[in-house]
Amino acid sequence: MNTFRDFLTSKKLLLLFLFSLLVISFASVFFVNFRSRSDADEPTSEKVPTLNVLNWTSYIPSEVISDFETEYGVKVNYGTYSSNEELLAKVSSAKSGTYDLIFPSDYMVDLMSSRDLLETLDKSKLKNLDNLNPRFLSQSYDENNLVSLPFLLATSVILYDSEKISTPLTSYHDLLREDFRDNLVLLDDERITIGSFLLASGADLNSVETTALENSLAFYEKLKPNVKAFDSDSPKTFFITGEVDAGIIWNAEALLAQTERENLKIVYPSEGFALSMDNYCILKHAKNPDLAYLFIDYLLRDDVSQAIVDEYPYISPNRSVTSLPDSELETILARGTYVKNVGNDIKKFDKLWAKYK
Amino acid sequence: MTRVKNNHNRPFSSTSELREKTPKLSSSKTVFDGIKVLFTLPVILYALLLIFLPLVYIFFLSFLKSDSYGGFLFEITLDNYLESFDPTYLGIFGKSVAIGLVTTALCLLISYPFAIFLRDKPERTRSLIITLVMIPFLTNSMIRTYGWITLLRKNGVINSALLGLGIIDAPLSLMYNSLGIIIGMTYTLLPFMILPVVSAVSKVDQSLLDAAEDLGAGPLKKFTKVYLPLTLSGAFNGSLMVFIPAIGYFFIADILGGGKAMIIGNLIKNQFLTARNWPLGAALSILLLILTFGLVKLYEKIGGDLDELGGA
Repeated sequence: MNTFRDFLTSKKLLLLFLFSLLVISFASVFFVNFRSRSDADEPTSEKVPTLNVLNWTSYIPSEVISDFETEYGVKVNYGTYSSNEELLAKVSSAKSGTYDLIFPSDYMVDLMSSRDLLETLDKSKLKNLDNLNPRFLSQSYDENNLVSLPFLLATSVILYDSEKISTPLTSYHDLLREDFRDNLVLLDDERITIGSFLLASGADLNSVETTALENSLAFYEKLKPNVKAFDSDSPKTFFITGEVDAGIIWNAEALLAQTERENLKIVYPSEGFALSMDNYCILKHAKNPDLAYLFIDYLLRDDVSQAIVDEYPYISPNRSVTSLPDSELETILARGTYVKNVGNDIKKFDKLWAKYK
Repeated sequence: MTRVKNNHNRPFSSTSELREKTPKLSSSKTVFDGIKVLFTLPVILYALLLIFLPLVYIFFLSFLKSDSYGGFLFEITLDNYLESFDPTYLGIFGKSVAIGLVTTALCLLISYPFAIFLRDKPERTRSLIITLVMIPFLTNSMIRTYGWITLLRKNGVINSALLGLGIIDAPLSLMYNSLGIIIGMTYTLLPFMILPVVSAVSKVDQSLLDAAEDLGAGPLKKFTKVYLPLTLSGAFNGSLMVFIPAIGYFFIADILGGGKAMIIGNLIKNQFLTARNWPLGAALSILLLILTFGLVKLYEKIGGDLDELGGA
């Protein structure tokens, strides 16, 4: 008894414990890293077929999902994320087969498919495929649409209050004007905001060259006194409450702000702007691929596509959903640039971003 | 902090004394100790599994090499630590410390008059006021921070009121700058300063104050010669509890600073979420931990000395 007591309070026990913790933590590092490669899937026995979806926050109205559930007698498990990186983290840390359908953006499609995470799509299962405008297909990030199909397109735009700003804006350089002192909102997104200033200083949106990045920083230094805030969650609020008179934000946010205040004007900057296409992708080892195809086909339907853009006014690749005249769409697609996967060079962007702040 | 330390030490020292003095009791003591271990086991396990283990994981991660997208290679390297001392990141460390220091100073400036005011109030009033200080804790701090937007923004409550009264001509920039961050931090962290300072000030012996007054000390002299030396330990305790979160509360910097000012908290968050450079984030976390640990050690040193000086 006494020896047991001594053992319980002895340093040996502590050491033993700490050592085992060490072993466990090492093991967990390896486990986390290799788990995704092993196929340790357990069979599931669910009665109602359940589709596991991961999508951006505020992207599909909840009625659209509940209508799908009642129409087909299935259940949709709907999870959300707010950045492509978060999506990647969720997908790669979860057991394979946890999620069926995801909505990554262009560069993330490229990255995920290079990591062999995405299933090759069987397009014969989609009878509404023809609803897609071919203008949106075969983009640089997935040239033959092997693993992805377009869902919605976002573009970055300049929004300004035409009542307070009398001379119209056309370019990023116009934002340097004195009357915008402490009066701009920018997206809190390093790829888009740095990308905009790369364009402003004459480089490509996806440039990773040191001089180009330095030039973009120099442009930002000039703009800095005018910047009031960085916000990605709801930059439209800054316009609606009159906090700022101009800014670089997403097109849908801009359109929503316009419904509140009519004198807000949208400008596609002359130097160019970012395009961000979000896509339907089915994950490898998905448990319910057929249900995923069913859901994609449902979302491709004209009435459903319309319901989505009515609530979230992004640009739909569905040809019958009229959000823009053809000529305007053509200009947007021609002048905008998709955000590309830059691999390890993302660290350059991140370091630059730390300098911005 | 010191009080907690004493509580831990006393049972142990008395147990060993008992054991030496009365060896007959040792077997029942053994059972008692066993039960004690059994009952503390869940807490120990909780702390080890959810606090210690992740820290060990972060520690190892900080020595690994990162690959392009969020993963890491099993190569031991010190690069992450060298990278942490890049001027850009040092600048962010410096800015965070500056924000932390200003916040701590403001909290001290508010807490002392408050504590001295509260000292002479009857017990019931005191507990009522302390409860009022604690009540905001019932609401999530992020929601409270969003509440400040309504007050501080360009056409918010404060600016509208001042404009309406004709005190100012143009709206003040109260947020989306360092001022906003400091207002938010001070508001959120003030209770952590008030509680230890109030408790320290209320323990100051009335006779010392009377003596000071008899010898002709004014309010200022009373503060510098009596209150301050006797309550330094409490003030340091509070400062620690304000300063450490102030350099890490990234959501306040994001919401009230307009995402313009990056503090260490944002920097670490970005490494994990945006830059997908977990090893660098881990190295920065470990450095922050070392800084925090150094401050706690410093406190223990000062706190210990002060305890002896106070001689209670």
